[in-house]
Amino acid sequence: MSDQSQGSPGTLQPEAKQRQSFLVLLIRKRTLMMLFLFVIIIAVFAIRTDGRMIDMRNIMQILNMMAVSTFLTQGVALLMISGKLDLSTGANGTLCGMFLAYVLRAGVPLIPAILMALAVGALVGVVNAALVNELNMAPFIATLATSLIATGFVILIAQNRIIPIRHPVLIDYGSYMLFRFNVGEFSFPGVPVSAFLAFCFMAIIGVLLHKTKFGRQTYLVGGNPQAAMLSGINPKKMSYILFIICGLFSSIAGITLVSRLQSANMQGLVAQRFQGITAAVLGGISLGGGTGGMAGAFVGLLVLNTFSNGMTVQGTGPGWQHIASGGLLIFALTLEYFQRRQNEKIVA
Amino acid sequence: MSDILQFTGISKSYPGVKALQDISFSAKAGRVLALLGENGAGKSTLLKILSGDVRADTGDITIDGEKQTYSSPYDAIQAGISVIYQERQLVPSLSVMENVFPGALPKTKLGTIDRRTLRRETKAVIEKFGLPIDPDEPVGRLSVAYQQMVEIMKAYRRDARIIAFDEPTAPLAEAEIAILFKLIQQLKEEGRIIIYVSHRMAEIFQVTDDIVVLKDGKLVKTLTTCETNEHELIQAMIGRDLGDTYANLKRNDKLGDVVLEVKDLCTDMLHDINFTLRAGEVLGFAGLIGAGRTEVARAIFGADPITSGEIIFEGKTVKFKEPKDAIKAGMALCPEDRKDQGLLLQRTIRENTTMPILKKIRRGPFLDHHLENTLTHESVKKYTIRTPSINKITRELSGGNQQKVILGRWTNAKNSTKLLILDEPTKGIDVGTKAEIYQMVCDLAKTGLAIIFISSELTEVLNVSDRIIVMRSGHITWDIPREEATEENVLEHAMLV
Repeated sequence: MSDQSQGSPGTLQPEAKQRQSFLVLLIRKRTLMMLFLFVIIIAVFAIRTDGRMIDMRNIMQILNMMAVSTFLTQGVALLMISGKLDLSTGANGTLCGMFLAYVLRAGVPLIPAILMALAVGALVGVVNAALVNELNMAPFIATLATSLIATGFVILIAQNRIIPIRHPVLIDYGSYMLFRFNVGEFSFPGVPVSAFLAFCFMAIIGVLLHKTKFGRQTYLVGGNPQAAMLSGINPKKMSYILFIICGLFSSIAGITLVSRLQSANMQGLVAQRFQGITAAVLGGISLGGGTGGMAGAFVGLLVLNTFSNGMTVQGTGPGWQHIASGGLLIFALTLEYFQRRQNEKIVA
Repeated sequence: MSDILQFTGISKSYPGVKALQDISFSAKAGRVLALLGENGAGKSTLLKILSGDVRADTGDITIDGEKQTYSSPYDAIQAGISVIYQERQLVPSLSVMENVFPGALPKTKLGTIDRRTLRRETKAVIEKFGLPIDPDEPVGRLSVAYQQMVEIMKAYRRDARIIAFDEPTAPLAEAEIAILFKLIQQLKEEGRIIIYVSHRMAEIFQVTDDIVVLKDGKLVKTLTTCETNEHELIQAMIGRDLGDTYANLKRNDKLGDVVLEVKDLCTDMLHDINFTLRAGEVLGFAGLIGAGRTEVARAIFGADPITSGEIIFEGKTVKFKEPKDAIKAGMALCPEDRKDQGLLLQRTIRENTTMPILKKIRRGPFLDHHLENTLTHESVKKYTIRTPSINKITRELSGGNQQKVILGRWTNAKNSTKLLILDEPTKGIDVGTKAEIYQMVCDLAKTGLAIIFISSELTEVLNVSDRIIVMRSGHITWDIPREEATEENVLEHAMLV
């Protein structure tokens, strides 16, 4: 019986200070492990590319790329913590960006146009939630279907054209640099406004998750929906809210993409469609729900983006890039497998 | 065909519980051996060891003196053992013949399945048992009874020397039971070893030849069916010895007003449930598994739909659409299955404690972590939860401590709980912690809480409750004060028709 070894009744004892080596700590804490991996990736690529990887301009390039995937990731990460999944984020975002470009060109003013694009994103979220909750479909299948439908609408709207974005506010949003400064010889190129916004949102979601009732309920529903229901939480309502939030973030990702490209094309977010899920998984959010957090997801994003950027900078072709990315994911999940075994051993 | 199956010194422990202790007996060819005992006596564990699902800590199983060492259910099947569980182990979408011949499908020269041979051989088995089953019918479309027959045919086809049945008649109607008994008779005459687990007295006398009675994981008695009677069996099953635990319980003796009144409650599973419950009263629900006790709790709590009837809570007729409404009104349910329905195993004690009161521990838009910590510390102290930290993940706690976390969830300062429903609160918990939980239940009653105490352990219901309701197949069969209840008369009302 483990009872006696766990301290005397009712008294809280300080957590027994296990003398943990750095390696054990690394294995136990997923986020730390990923952060370690991130540092290794940066170091390896910095050396291989003679420092071009950590050049200021390249770092800005990484941040620019990260803005879109950060928006995609936070929505889907929230959903995954609640035990659900959304495969439609990429298609949804592409549709919203395309829709925005389309209505702007048709003469709709900026604010209503953006609201309409957000509404489309939210609508896809509602449809996903309805399919999952009312018709009891597996999120995997339901969102796969809506992603096909969204892609279909993109093609119908685009008709093989590229729709340009000319609105100055959007162009600024896509290209403006915050915090630009020069000190003598040194010039700091600034942070892309979209990336800054994306990171702010991620921080806010992180705080919501850990500090509010909403955040806690997300974990509870993901951890054990039955127990949550018997404790007075409505899992269905939570699921609707989270699918809608995920749809909204997809929409913002799409708007960010077309602002940066100053046009909307049919490819849109196709290349990034699985980035959100990948980053979340790398960052320790399991598909089973109930675990992980935004800090982890952010580190996952860093790993993912520096890895692919590093390969681009050193001139690796797209074929090998894909193979290496797959390998990275398998590597991360292998680490997780050993990590879980290690943790179970500690429990036993 | 083997003649004798011998269990020698079988023991098995789970964390905090000794499920089986030094069990030795033998089963003979051409005879049906009954395994009898209350819920939790160890029958299922024994069957799981026989079928290779679970490995015994110590002890041997020998067939004809040959020691069996198997590491998986597959090995047990190879050794000629078939266990027919209540949960079907069939593929519903496949046909009867494909289910009867899994893994041994006859093949044509081309390597495809030889359906003609398969059909012919399946038909031969079906005719042998004289059953009206079509070999091509998908198993999912058969009635529960016939699905069971398919399982038996599966075992027969494998030429299983030993066939064990786990409460086979539980889902069956009278006529179907007759067919089953005929089949068992046939298998017995062929000289197979049959092990039969059931709660139903009448059946024991109808089909079995020998009886082994288990209690608390120990073997109490080995009997010959024709030389015993119902009274002797019930005597052997009951009488758990927990020393002075019950005598030392400090009970609540002041009952308050009626808190809950249930009138003619019916659901799909329940028929005309009537009872009342007062503040400070502990109302025990006794009965066998599947008698409908959990269903009563879930119906009251708004977790299952009600077809008719009335629930009056604190003087008002209530209709709960979901558990959330029940919680708001002041009810709390500690569900039967801690791991599936009670706890979030990968979250901390703190998070598990404050689940239902998140709304009340907010400061502005944020959760008040300070208050949350204080409340959790209080319940850790009140319920003597053994843990180094309130941030320990509940999976890492023992069963007893997990149960205390759930108790703490519903009884801290921020709850307005007036009715606490405890469904099997001591399941899988060691004896010492059980005693603690009994006293906690009595203490909670003293604070004026009305408590429904559902348990499959007779002794515990009888000793902790002020009043006992006995249920059988969705009906209340008896409602008596503790003083009048004995294990015998309660068990009679729970088991006998």
